[in-house]
Amino acid sequence: MKHNRLFAAALATLMAASVVLGGCGGSSSSSSSSGDTGSGNAASSDTGAASGGGEAAASDDGIEKPETITIMVDGTVTTQENNQQAFIDKFKELTGIQLIINQPDHDAYYDNVGQTFASGPDNWPDVIILSSTYYAGYAGEGALWDMTDAYENSELKGRINESGQSVIDGLRIDGHLYGFPSGRGNGCVTYVKKKWLDNVGMEAPTNYDEYIKMLDAFTTGDPDGNGVDGDTYGVSAAGIIAAETPYINYLPEFYQDAFPSFVKGDDGVWYDGFTEQSFKDALTRLREAYAAGYIDKETLTNGTNDCRNKFYEDKFGVFTYWAGTWDSNLKNNLEANGLDGELVPLKPLAEVADVGGYIERTPPVWAITEACENPEGVFKYFIETMHDGGEIQTLWSYGVEDVHWSRKAEEVCGNTYAEGEFHFAESLEKPGTQYTKQHMDSMLALVPIVDDIGANGHAPEAVESQEIFNNNCRQAQLVPSTDEMAQYNGDLTTLKNSIVADVVVQGVSIDEAYQRFETEHGAEWSKMIVDSLNAQ
Amino acid sequence: MAKLSKEAAAVTTNKRPLTTSLYFYRGFYIMFIPVLVFAILFHYLPMYGIRYAFTTYKGVKDPVFIGMGNFTKMLGMPAFWSAFGNTIYLSVVKLLLNTFAAVALSLLLNELRSLKFKKFAQTLVYLPHFMSWVVTASVFTLILSPTSAGLVNSILVKLGIVQAGNEIYFLADQKWWVPMYFMINVWKDTGWATIIFMATLSGISPELYEAAGIDGANRWQAMRYITLPALANTIITVLILNLAKIMNLFESVFVMQNDAVMKQSDVLQTYIYTQTFNSGALPDYGYTTAVGLASSIVGCILVLVCNKASYKVRGRGIM
Repeated sequence: MKHNRLFAAALATLMAASVVLGGCGGSSSSSSSSGDTGSGNAASSDTGAASGGGEAAASDDGIEKPETITIMVDGTVTTQENNQQAFIDKFKELTGIQLIINQPDHDAYYDNVGQTFASGPDNWPDVIILSSTYYAGYAGEGALWDMTDAYENSELKGRINESGQSVIDGLRIDGHLYGFPSGRGNGCVTYVKKKWLDNVGMEAPTNYDEYIKMLDAFTTGDPDGNGVDGDTYGVSAAGIIAAETPYINYLPEFYQDAFPSFVKGDDGVWYDGFTEQSFKDALTRLREAYAAGYIDKETLTNGTNDCRNKFYEDKFGVFTYWAGTWDSNLKNNLEANGLDGELVPLKPLAEVADVGGYIERTPPVWAITEACENPEGVFKYFIETMHDGGEIQTLWSYGVEDVHWSRKAEEVCGNTYAEGEFHFAESLEKPGTQYTKQHMDSMLALVPIVDDIGANGHAPEAVESQEIFNNNCRQAQLVPSTDEMAQYNGDLTTLKNSIVADVVVQGVSIDEAYQRFETEHGAEWSKMIVDSLNAQ
Repeated sequence: MAKLSKEAAAVTTNKRPLTTSLYFYRGFYIMFIPVLVFAILFHYLPMYGIRYAFTTYKGVKDPVFIGMGNFTKMLGMPAFWSAFGNTIYLSVVKLLLNTFAAVALSLLLNELRSLKFKKFAQTLVYLPHFMSWVVTASVFTLILSPTSAGLVNSILVKLGIVQAGNEIYFLADQKWWVPMYFMINVWKDTGWATIIFMATLSGISPELYEAAGIDGANRWQAMRYITLPALANTIITVLILNLAKIMNLFESVFVMQNDAVMKQSDVLQTYIYTQTFNSGALPDYGYTTAVGLASSIVGCILVLVCNKASYKVRGRGIM
């Protein structure tokens, strides 16, 4: 018995020691996890290099050029499968800087970002790509370098046009800039099938009344010309409220001036748009349209892929989706199904235009972490050069010549190109398709490329929809992260979305819905968050 | 005999020094090392993360100790209680339905006389188990679609039960979501659950059935007085073992929930997910760890209750 007790005690001690030692080595445990992360797709084994600094000669302004820069990126940057090494080599040739790229799996990117930050500054990259929510969050936590002065005193500022400036201003948190976008955020524009308009004898709508009449005709008439009335519907979307900010971008005609989350008014005071009359009016419009069958009955359970497929199958005629390249994608897929692919990208309806037009999402940013040893150098030689309007921006936009694009006479994916004609190469990752860009989209560039090699490579419809969007949009607001937001906004968002679904799909009255908002603490949480935002 | 017993007792109570014992059983201990290392690395070390439940922590700055603050907040959140109630309700009903459906199906399969058809039927009912929940949800979203494309609604319209244009949105209707959830679960998991019952059934001595036949028992009586009693112990074991896992409900709910049915479908694991990824800010890992810890504690209590129940019912525990 004593023997067993001794053995049990030894085992228990071993277990306890392992836990305690594990605790002492908490950071090493985390860092090994981050190491896994880092090794996920790292392009170089030299991950231990003290980068973002280096001993290279200083320029006239005293800013040293870093020898190496470690970057953590999602799948929007050239992947290893698509010959990332060629990109790294070309970047070094152009800048003299060795890039060390840590590129976790795109779908698990923010899990890896969280692990990397949690593992401590020793494991942070010099530069990291962050979406708006994480950008505001990590800036609020003091993990990102304040690049306000660097930007204000840079040559880059002079190169950026007015609309680009508004994009950058939209990224300021209390006047400070902690990240820089690679381009505009882009957003969704409403496409209408031209054939359907012709079949019902209507013009593209310019205001909400005309829009509703068009939806009615698409729902009750025979817009697809199959001889059956009422077997189609007007519009579909992936959710009544989108899962991510800016939330209302898939059904802008119904939301108009309404917004379901926190908004900073012209007077600089934050408020919750969900509690405003404008949002109740939007809910009424949505409920009426849903009850009339104008909106896809399955909107709540649709994913974006479901919507696209239904659009290609000619089940509905109005689709609010990404401007630019997606116009061509929609057109090509419709034509592949033997349908007319001509789409009319709508200018915002009068009611939407009155509040600034379509909503442009806050773009992801390149942020320099506080762990970077030479942030001024990284800003000047990495972020500024990304927008040089020349060779380096071209590299970020199109990739490497004869690897990602070419001007040779050849046939690529069934398309024939003459000598000297710019075209993208066949994707290594997705054979049978051509690249459409590398990291940056030249149609969304903040600084136009001089002698843009791909200027004529964009489909005319893509250019048209992008121009309509760019000329008729307003910036989504960046909401700072507060403790109250972290504590209550998850529950609050769930409650709001549930109430919206209640009203639109279940037909619950607005009064009843907002009564629920009160009784289930929504109003209380909303006020706490608003107060915390205004107290900042 | 008495002398022998004394010697045996002396052997079993022989107090060897620990080192001698370790050396004597060295082979076993060496074999045990990989298991021990695995358990420490992957089960015990991660438990150190429990400390975050008592802190506020966003993953950048050091955690700030707040004592029981996260638990106080959690207990005051209606969404937590709703998720807790849904977890228990959905899990328990699902467990009972799946188990009894599996028993019923096993009994039916057991009655099949054609071996070929029996194997074919078994294979057919096992197949849904191998579909991922994502695929299953997609398939049933189509089948239950509130449009003319939805199989169920088309049949209901054809039968005149619902009017065209007023089709039922089964997966977004607060009345229908829960029954649909149970139905889909039964469809997916019942077949697989029959394996253990079929194994028990095959172990019942045919002599019992022959004897019952001689005594004039019909098939129903044979099932009632032979088959079911033979299955009873297995049914209880399966129920008890699965009861311990009921707090882990996530994937099947996550792929089928939507904004309209959050009140009915939000369970603790989806609640944690929402708190982590849907807050519009950096999540407070302290709070989500606290909710996860609470869920684990309830799970532990259930295991202990099950163990006790197992002792009572079967005379031995499950651990």
